[in-house]
Amino acid sequence: MFYRRAGIRHTSYRAERQLWPLPFDRALVALVFALLVLAPLYLGDLYLAGYLLPWIIWSTAALGLNFLMGGAGQIHLGYGAVMAIGAYTSVHLVRAGVPLEVAMIGGGLASAAIGIMFGAAALRVKGLYLAMATLAMQYIVDFVISHVPAISGGTQATIQVPTVRFLGVPIVGNTATYYMALAVGTVVTLFMLNARRTSLGRALAAVREKDYAAEVIGVGTLRYKLLAFWISSFIGGVVGAVLAVCYLRSISPDQFHIELSIQLVAMVIVGGLGSVLGSFFGAALILFAPIVLNNVIGSLSDTFALSISSDLRAHVPLMLYGALIIGFLLWEPLGLAKIYANVRDYFLVWPFRHARR
Amino acid sequence: MDYLLLGELAINGALVGLMYALVAAGIVLVYKTSGLANLAQGAIAMMGAYLTWAVATGLGAPMALAIVLALAMMFVVGLLIERLALRRMAGQPVIMAIMLTLGLEIMLRGLLPGVFGAAVKRLDVGIPQAPVFVGELLVNRATLYGGIISAGVILVSMLIFNSRLGVFMRAVSDDQTASWSVGIRVERAIAVAWGLAAVTATVSGILWGSTQGVDWSLSLLLIKALAIAILGGLDSIPGVLIAGLIVGVAESLATGLIDPLVGGGTRDIVASVIILLTLLIKPHGLFGREHIERV
Amino acid sequence: MTLNRRDFVAGAAAIGLAAPLPLGRALAQEKVIRLGMPQDFTRVYTFVTAEYSQGQRDYFTLINDRGGINGHKLLAEVSDHGNDVPRAIEAYERLKQQGAVLIDPLSTPVARALVPRALQDQINMLTTLSGRSDAADGSVFPYVMPLSPNYWTQAGILVDFFRQQDKDLKGKRIVLVHIDTPFGREPLPVFQALGKKLGYEFQAFPYTPPGNDQSAIWPQVRRARPDWVVFWGAGVGQTVALSEAVRNGIRMDRVSSSVWLSESDMEVAGKSETKGVLKFEACAGGREPKLIQEILKDVVGKGKGAGPEGKVGTSYYNIGVMMAAIITEGVRVAFQKAPNGPVTGPWLNEGLRAITNFTAEGLMPPMTSTKADHQGGGRGRVVRWDGAKFVPATDWFTANQDLVWDEIRKASAEFKASGK
Repeated sequence: MFYRRAGIRHTSYRAERQLWPLPFDRALVALVFALLVLAPLYLGDLYLAGYLLPWIIWSTAALGLNFLMGGAGQIHLGYGAVMAIGAYTSVHLVRAGVPLEVAMIGGGLASAAIGIMFGAAALRVKGLYLAMATLAMQYIVDFVISHVPAISGGTQATIQVPTVRFLGVPIVGNTATYYMALAVGTVVTLFMLNARRTSLGRALAAVREKDYAAEVIGVGTLRYKLLAFWISSFIGGVVGAVLAVCYLRSISPDQFHIELSIQLVAMVIVGGLGSVLGSFFGAALILFAPIVLNNVIGSLSDTFALSISSDLRAHVPLMLYGALIIGFLLWEPLGLAKIYANVRDYFLVWPFRHARR
Repeated sequence: MDYLLLGELAINGALVGLMYALVAAGIVLVYKTSGLANLAQGAIAMMGAYLTWAVATGLGAPMALAIVLALAMMFVVGLLIERLALRRMAGQPVIMAIMLTLGLEIMLRGLLPGVFGAAVKRLDVGIPQAPVFVGELLVNRATLYGGIISAGVILVSMLIFNSRLGVFMRAVSDDQTASWSVGIRVERAIAVAWGLAAVTATVSGILWGSTQGVDWSLSLLLIKALAIAILGGLDSIPGVLIAGLIVGVAESLATGLIDPLVGGGTRDIVASVIILLTLLIKPHGLFGREHIERV
Repeated sequence: MTLNRRDFVAGAAAIGLAAPLPLGRALAQEKVIRLGMPQDFTRVYTFVTAEYSQGQRDYFTLINDRGGINGHKLLAEVSDHGNDVPRAIEAYERLKQQGAVLIDPLSTPVARALVPRALQDQINMLTTLSGRSDAADGSVFPYVMPLSPNYWTQAGILVDFFRQQDKDLKGKRIVLVHIDTPFGREPLPVFQALGKKLGYEFQAFPYTPPGNDQSAIWPQVRRARPDWVVFWGAGVGQTVALSEAVRNGIRMDRVSSSVWLSESDMEVAGKSETKGVLKFEACAGGREPKLIQEILKDVVGKGKGAGPEGKVGTSYYNIGVMMAAIITEGVRVAFQKAPNGPVTGPWLNEGLRAITNFTAEGLMPPMTSTKADHQGGGRGRVVRWDGAKFVPATDWFTANQDLVWDEIRKASAEFKASGK
């Protein structure tokens, strides 16, 4: 009914390679994007700064990580450290008088440079070993940042982000920060959507599926893995800069701890490995489930006068967080993106179910 | 240079390293049979300590009985984890299984403090507090007993690996299909490995719980244990023993020698650097078999 | 997995059922003053938050049952931010929207992250015995309210106590065992500066957070043969420090802690083994103070207590009561200054910065806050563990404030310069 799909789906290669072949999907994407762009007009501060802004930023970060985990099949447990490098580099550059646009790129390059050093060490091994090497990276970067006062910013270990301009617009208040995050998020999303249609994306898919088979057909495994690491770390660095400038506004080492890395990995898993849409879903679920759940339990125990011990109540989000990861891995390893695809498949030919392929 | 201090640090470090090695032994047990890294080992140790505390204080059982009960319960918990979660992951990429154990880690870290309360609990297994003096050297009694018990449990698990059951487990780790075809019950071997891993985790959870108190931070044992398991070679129990000593002494000496230079606590960094160096120089660890694929 | 109709209908039904759940709470009809208490119940500050929050809520219940302040009820919105900045910012924005005039995050990292927002939105942020020590400088941080002795003052008072005991600290050795985080490193400059002034030798031993393994630290402390040991951490780090001190045979009456040490820590480390341990205290512990007695009678006794009765009167519970009392006093002063409100952040700010000689009926030392001094005078005392409870070893006093304020001004100037 909505999709009005039947019979021949495309008549040229060009049409087949479209990102969204169906008019309904195109309209939906346009609608969501328009809603996002117009959000500051109809949303209050709470939802803009408390929900939408972190959602955009975390989704962008999850996209960067998903490029590595879903695209190239490499696990990374130190993505928070990658973002920290980007955040600190760009903030220090901005404070030294470099324009924000350049500082962001600088942050990305620094993250990529340091990330690839660990990547090169780690990519000689696989699976668990890679996980461990990136975990080690997380701890080492944390330590260096918090123990070099020149980086962390003196006794209080907090650096204020100065007021900056992005593309000529001063980044103050909720609207400007939101648009800056949205702009970066859009660019990264477009890159991710298109990456899989390029030779790079196909080479990475080959490496992910079976690395020695890829090598046999002439895809340099190490080279492409390193490239994936580089790109992913670059995106991580840029997102780190966005996070610092738009959201945190004053950065300290503990904001980029192992919890952030785990959170991002969970977003990728729950959202769906390799899925662009999934990164957005995963970020929303992991970021907001604890908050919403806390509010729901709070109002339930208020209305029905349930006596839930505060210890239990406070720990429910953590349990749920773990249970979500376990649940998705067991029952829907392809994540929320797959659930969405299932719903979409259901409606694709609805109500003519018999017409399904 | 104060050699006495260095000696003291080395001895205490070695003992603490043995206590860490016990957690690592559980990781190795599971890896050896199922080829799977268990990132929930620290949280399982925490669970064992919580259960022991709950049985001892909640039911008022004497400590020895509480420990025995907790060990039995945790063996079942280990079996259940394998049966309900990990077995369903057969055939999935290893990254998925790693994430599953990580999810388990997070969930347990929420569940146990949520149910039993987040405040630090005292777990007194009757180790006296007063220090032991060996000449001029002071040896911490809690770590002394802990290290000895840990080494003992690791030795026992080595013996298990030489028993009939252990032969099954090793066969399974070599080739699951081949073991199947000669009539070894692969699932059961893996399940027993999980049960034993949970038991060793509980022992270490109790030992650590009695030295530091029981709370969520027990799950942090994981990082040290992973460093030890990787240095030792992931599938070697004697490797764990040696690597535990190395990591413990290295950490302890680093705290004594490097900390004053950099003005910060370097303990966790030592573990990270050890992981990185091992991966760079000898990825299969000191005693591991060379079957890790390099690309 | 493909979707069939049954799954789909079931899923849709679940969503439909879940949607109408009331997410917001019904607005109270009476006049209220909203106080935001998003705190860390789950991650790092678990050791203190539950008792602290219980104390705060019990005190507000006491005040509200007596009719509130000027006909206004004090409404504490308690939630959990898990020491996680995004969750804290969400809670902050939510409270801002609901019209909260004060926020008490009780977490150093969260407080640091919220400082720019609080200053911009003119919402009072309480940083009880936590947060930025330099926020005591009210001219730079108009809306950040420690209203309690900061870590530098605590260090200054402890060192002065050592001086009182030993008459002269020249040639003595003081050792600080601290958690290796910004919070743990904070007192270092005061100890160093006082060392230069009083002539004692100072040595610091950082341990890796959260401090569950300090086995390599304490042998070094013992070897250093210190005259005084101060340990500076929180939660599990404190209990481990205490047990390791016992196991390494350190003299317990020469060991001291910052304010974050409680009865439950002593229980974990062993009540009798730790006899003699000292700590800094910002308000009286135990059940003797008049306010605690009243809470026991009128709140807990009537079954309105916010938590287990056994926790009433612990150190952290009383700190919660103290801070709630200070807030209430701030509200009272604000009503004195502007009886008709409107109830806003700046309105409460006027009150919180003009509290004079407030003692919470003997619970705490006299506290006076001004527009320049958000610390409130920096009085405290040193107490000693006698095996069952903490007993005062000194009267309320303050010390080394000139040096502390040098540090405060230095750090706040740094903040001012970096904000541009």
